[in-house]
Amino acid sequence: MSKTQYAQLSDHIEVDPITHIDPKSLLGHWINSNPYTNSIARINITEANGKLQLQVFAVGPDGPIDWGTATADVFSSNPASSTGAGFTCIYDFGFAEARFQAMIMKGLLVLAQFHTFKDDSNRANYFLREYYSMTQEHF
Amino acid sequence: MNFKQNSHLHPDLLNPAAANLNPDKLLGRWINTNWETRGIAECTVAREGDDINVSIIGVGEDGPIHWPTARATPLANLEEEAGQRTPAMTATFDLGFMRADTHLRINKGVFVIVLFATFLDDSGRANYLNREFFYRQA
Repeated sequence: MSKTQYAQLSDHIEVDPITHIDPKSLLGHWINSNPYTNSIARINITEANGKLQLQVFAVGPDGPIDWGTATADVFSSNPASSTGAGFTCIYDFGFAEARFQAMIMKGLLVLAQFHTFKDDSNRANYFLREYYSMTQEHF
Repeated sequence: MNFKQNSHLHPDLLNPAAANLNPDKLLGRWINTNWETRGIAECTVAREGDDINVSIIGVGEDGPIHWPTARATPLANLEEEAGQRTPAMTATFDLGFMRADTHLRINKGVFVIVLFATFLDDSGRANYLNREFFYRQA
């Protein structure tokens, strides 16, 4: 085979260059399957100028908190595929950072969140994993 | 105290014992449950001083491929489904031609590695994600 470097056999392929991963399966309005979540209740995912855009609404003590929009990187399910299967994204709030790793599984969006505190609050960094279903509801 | 969601205010985040940040349950040698995997054959999580290091061996054409060791970031787990609260961790592997961002956790006794691979070369391969399952080597 060629000189293509790889770290595991599944990477050891040659492909016609994939310049764009189609995010179609990720686009839409996603709502948390847990109505009692203390975390992210809803996510809007759109595509703008060829980039995946997230808008997150989290649960706060006094109602929803709009995190605003952030650009995400799209991932396929294998190195030869141009079909979107997940994404990564970072929200930097200054006092803390939230990193996402998300994937579609059985029609649900599975979102892993990694929260790292950068302030002097002495809070522990933590992990959350929640499930979201596509909804026709617009928010 | 600043927050962006209710869980930022979870009282256990200020209580080291309750936050369950101890990664000891993740330490050890973990073998892929799928012996025909074309991905990660095994993973070792080890404590070295104050650090937690992760070593991965990928399946290669001519034998195992040892990835450069990565330092892990342990994370508390406050409220996962079914009451699970086992700690998780993240680790990023820099392979030069590729970066692998991973998170590692135990789900119902099974060690899970979720990998997001970003190619940094000009091979034209698509960035991709993968998830594999591992059992503890006795």
